[in-house]
Amino acid sequence: MTSAPSYSPTASPTASSAGSARPTPNGTAVVVGGNRIPFAKAGGAYAGASNLDMLTSTIDGLAARFGLAGARLDEVRAGAVLAHSRDFNLAREAVLGSSLDATTPAVTLQRACATSIEAAWDVANKVTLGQIEVGVAAGVDSTSDAPIVVSERLRRVLLRLGRARSVPEKLKLLGQLRPADLAPVAPNVNEPRTHLSMGEHQALTNLQWQVTREAQDAVALASHHHLAQAWQDGLFDDLVTPYRGLTRDAALRPETTAEALAGLRTVFGNDQPNPTMTAGNSTPLSDGAAAVLIASPEWAAQRQLPALARIVDAEAAAVDFVRGEDGLLMGGAFAVPRLLARQGLGLDDIDLVEIHEAFAGVVVATTTAWADEAFAAERLGLPALGTLDPARLNVAGSSLAAGHPFAATGARIVATLATLLARRRAADPEREAPFRGVISVCAAGGQAVAMLLEA
Amino acid sequence: MAKVPAPLRGVQQQVGRTLTKALGLTEPVSLRRTDPDHVDVPLASGPVLVVGTGPDADALATALLGWGVDVRRHSPQVGAPAQQRWGAVVAVLTDLESPGEEAEAVLAVAGVLRDLARCARVVTLSRLPRPDDTPARSAARAGVEGLVRSLGKELRAGATANGLQLADGVDVAAPAVLGALRFLVSARSAFVDGQLLPITSDGVAPADWTRPLEGLVAVVTGAARGIGAETVRVLARDGAHVLGVDVPAAGEGLARTMNAVGGIALQLDITAPDAGERILDRAERAFGGLDVLVHNAGILRDKLLANMSPEQWTSVVGVNLAAQLAITQTLAARVPDLVQVSLASTSGIAGNRGQTNYGYSKAGVIGATQAWAPVLAAGGGRANAVAPGFIETEMTSSIPAVPREISRRASSLGQGGKPVDVAEAIAFLASPQAGGVNGAVLRVCGQNLVGR
Amino acid sequence: MSGETLDGGAFDGGSTAGAPTRVDHLAALPATGPLYAGALARAGRAMVATASVGEGLPDRALRVADVHLDRARLDAYCRLIGETAGEAAPPGFVHVTLFPLQLALMGRADFPLPMLGMVHVANRVEQLRAVRTDDALVATTWARDLVGRPVGSGDRLGTQVELVTEARVGRPDGELVWQGVSTYLAKGVQLPDLALLDRPERPAFSPPVPTGGWTTAKLTSREYATVSGDRNPIHTHALAARAFGFRGTIAHGMDTAARALAALGPLRGEAFTWTAEFAAPVPVPGRVALRLERAEDLDVTAGGVRPGWSMTAWDPRRGALHLRSALALA
Repeated sequence: MTSAPSYSPTASPTASSAGSARPTPNGTAVVVGGNRIPFAKAGGAYAGASNLDMLTSTIDGLAARFGLAGARLDEVRAGAVLAHSRDFNLAREAVLGSSLDATTPAVTLQRACATSIEAAWDVANKVTLGQIEVGVAAGVDSTSDAPIVVSERLRRVLLRLGRARSVPEKLKLLGQLRPADLAPVAPNVNEPRTHLSMGEHQALTNLQWQVTREAQDAVALASHHHLAQAWQDGLFDDLVTPYRGLTRDAALRPETTAEALAGLRTVFGNDQPNPTMTAGNSTPLSDGAAAVLIASPEWAAQRQLPALARIVDAEAAAVDFVRGEDGLLMGGAFAVPRLLARQGLGLDDIDLVEIHEAFAGVVVATTTAWADEAFAAERLGLPALGTLDPARLNVAGSSLAAGHPFAATGARIVATLATLLARRRAADPEREAPFRGVISVCAAGGQAVAMLLEA
Repeated sequence: MAKVPAPLRGVQQQVGRTLTKALGLTEPVSLRRTDPDHVDVPLASGPVLVVGTGPDADALATALLGWGVDVRRHSPQVGAPAQQRWGAVVAVLTDLESPGEEAEAVLAVAGVLRDLARCARVVTLSRLPRPDDTPARSAARAGVEGLVRSLGKELRAGATANGLQLADGVDVAAPAVLGALRFLVSARSAFVDGQLLPITSDGVAPADWTRPLEGLVAVVTGAARGIGAETVRVLARDGAHVLGVDVPAAGEGLARTMNAVGGIALQLDITAPDAGERILDRAERAFGGLDVLVHNAGILRDKLLANMSPEQWTSVVGVNLAAQLAITQTLAARVPDLVQVSLASTSGIAGNRGQTNYGYSKAGVIGATQAWAPVLAAGGGRANAVAPGFIETEMTSSIPAVPREISRRASSLGQGGKPVDVAEAIAFLASPQAGGVNGAVLRVCGQNLVGR
Repeated sequence: MSGETLDGGAFDGGSTAGAPTRVDHLAALPATGPLYAGALARAGRAMVATASVGEGLPDRALRVADVHLDRARLDAYCRLIGETAGEAAPPGFVHVTLFPLQLALMGRADFPLPMLGMVHVANRVEQLRAVRTDDALVATTWARDLVGRPVGSGDRLGTQVELVTEARVGRPDGELVWQGVSTYLAKGVQLPDLALLDRPERPAFSPPVPTGGWTTAKLTSREYATVSGDRNPIHTHALAARAFGFRGTIAHGMDTAARALAALGPLRGEAFTWTAEFAAPVPVPGRVALRLERAEDLDVTAGGVRPGWSMTAWDPRRGALHLRSALALA
């Protein structure tokens, strides 16, 4: 094994030139590129891979794409939703296991399904402030290698056992255990306060917004067809690095039809008179990881790397789903209008819209809320955004077809949208107005993060 | 191509060993290869003896001294105990005008053959025959070829015999000659045996002989695994910035290979119409230019011609030949001094049953190389090819044990080569030290019985 | 045990009408296990012989002083119910802490109704301020309002009683911080000379859109029994539950009510009136659907309507109502 070349104009050991003049605050942050591994189905190709394995491989793929092996970046910011306690320092461990220089600092963070878009926002802010020049935002999740928890009683007995001093004391503690206490507790991502699964929550939201089965299936169909087309067009050649023999997203069904989707039985909201949610219009449990490289334009230019799109602004929202005020995943109905209002933009100014398809119903309900005058007036105090042209929505597919490893989804979308915007810009360099894209990623706990990119 | 499941490979190796014993074959010698931490140290495995009488031999010996090699002009008296085994013997035969003049030098070589070190080198320097040579001179020059090929088959213990054929006008101490000689003497040429390499111009010396590719930018296709991955490592070891290209499906391996050398991965299907543009664009963006192009990517779709499907024929020719023609076309227009190294194959030279498509494509590579050579030379570039023989790769590990052992044994070195042996040859041809080599096909086959 | 008069008084409606005149002091909160064991023994006898119960309520209140909420138990309770554990206890925890006083009263030989098999039909808590772990509480329990009432939709009758528990700080006449009124129904028990309540109105229930819910499980039910001290076997043993006429193990009513309240979180504030009416029992294991809804006009106190929240729990499969609960902000 040879070591990295000792001299290189671009792959110098220190990527961010320490001591050189930092960009001025109020600079800009650009998406240089992204990398992810194909998303696998739970129990599928990555069943043997841990979060750490997948995140490390994804960072390595990013490093290989942009020649960052041996480079010290200013920050790697990453997280997982289903996190093992052993991975308390997940991002840093991934750096140490990757080809990046071991002196690259890292932060492990979590904002449920908005984890990596939050990470991207954070990195972009630090770049914009001139505090850092370059960082990686990433997310990873495995439902196949999720932590298994012991029962609450066993856990407490075990904890006390560790503190017990005498043998009789220990025996007494063990005597408190019953066979049922020894059964492992399966991981679940139910909302802790409502004890409802996301699917059950979305079923309620669908009811509230009168989202039909047909509308949901149409979103699912478009997602599969768009993603299949994007793969065929080679969009992901520069965005995906295969992993463990998987070369394409496992959930993708290019040949699926409206009839096939209509034939699926419902899986959520079956307590309701007319359940509408199926495995076809809900995201499958997935394994995967995604990363996005964000830097100052100066850093990118210095290394002759592309600046695909600028990260303009972002907005987070949360809804009170616990008391039933809004649907769990309806944060995007608040975050996006507020973000656009702050930027003085309307829906017509946005070329591409990416709404994370946690469920097809999220897309339908969110866009319905955007167009709802009463909702806008009463809940937002803003004029309604209006009706979204479906031709601008999730043009390269989204989570229904790609899969949704919770924390990875944000980085997947940021990198994909930046690439799409850069392509539009390349195809029409003369257009005066920037090509703009807005992202909405809903998340557990009633949260959502919206982000505005432009190229 | 049928893949052999991993557990069976062990069995096959075992079968191979059993076979070796059953046939009374000796275990092959472990060849001397480059230690990446001590490149070219020592250059030869012992003192270097330069035989030959003319001024060329003196000039060459002087030049070799510059490398800190223990150079001798005369062997100790016959009968005297050998103090040291010879690492290399260089026979300078550049002044032959007619048969008979070679005898003294050849017999001097003969006198030390019993005192060669393990993996020693015998290298002849002679002149390239020309159509306008007198018959006697042409005979004397051409005869060296038969000498080298025969000697290669006589040598034992990992020793090799190779020759450099200098075009008239090329000085014996020219950088290109020294560079090629250095390659042949060093551990880099471990599996090159019985070969004659023409040197047609003087070339230039690299600034650092141990890092001959310093500062150059190289692109390697099919870089994820096998010979391609090994080529990436050797090019990087020799100082190149490397852009590795492979199909998106091989991206995981590609990332690993490229990160190991601090290179850059480009996931790209080389049959894409814009492949050349994308390679050039990425290399220019990442490294500010492109100097070396290694056409390594290739596929196999073995089938007897009678059973071959259109897809099996067209895909092999498309990937192995058409794609690289198109890419070089694009690159040559923008990089006039492009140095190209292509992977040919002994199948392309000698043919192989079940490989009509592959053989066509690889023979085509040789044809393309010869045609590109003058075109690129006009801009200061070069085009050469490497033809590997039996190399121990994932691909060859799927061959059944008996034919595989036979293939291994069917070479003068009595063994298969390693991917790194091919990579060394590629790196040599890519480097300025091969500046005098153009349009050549260098076999890395351990002097395989198959073919020329 | 020494008797004394009941000073202070129930503040609900400002009336101590029906309150006993004598108070028995207990040295500490009694253990619940023996109380149930005794009750079980009596219930066994009662099933053999015909119930011979006393007439009228005992003229006794039970009191225990210097009660402290147990921090470790509070932590376990909060974790189980879904509350945030802190020094201020959820009202349901005060209830379970003082519950042994109720049991002790109902377990007395002169208590007119059989303790086991009585059904918790309603509960009401007035909390004047948060009850904290550092409060030294003086807790007093008495029974009142023994009345007959129809059971179900048929002709069956039963007897209902209210157990009042109040918690004051420091002294028997100290600051009143918490008062609970638990309504129990002894089905099929009729006592002479009791007033008879009208058949309660049962508005038809059609399940609304839920805002949440939970699943019930044997393990959590047993955990609640442990942490609450309410080890009534109908909550942990199917056979016992069937013996008392249930189809299987049922969840503690106060478990259901407390989980519904937990969903409200800090919005309940520190002073409130919390009511719960228990309808169909919650089967274990099973699923419970919950709807939280803001309400402007809760009519739960004598002092007029107040804003707050309504909490409704039901069986999402069968559509059977389990709980109507309300929290009126003070």
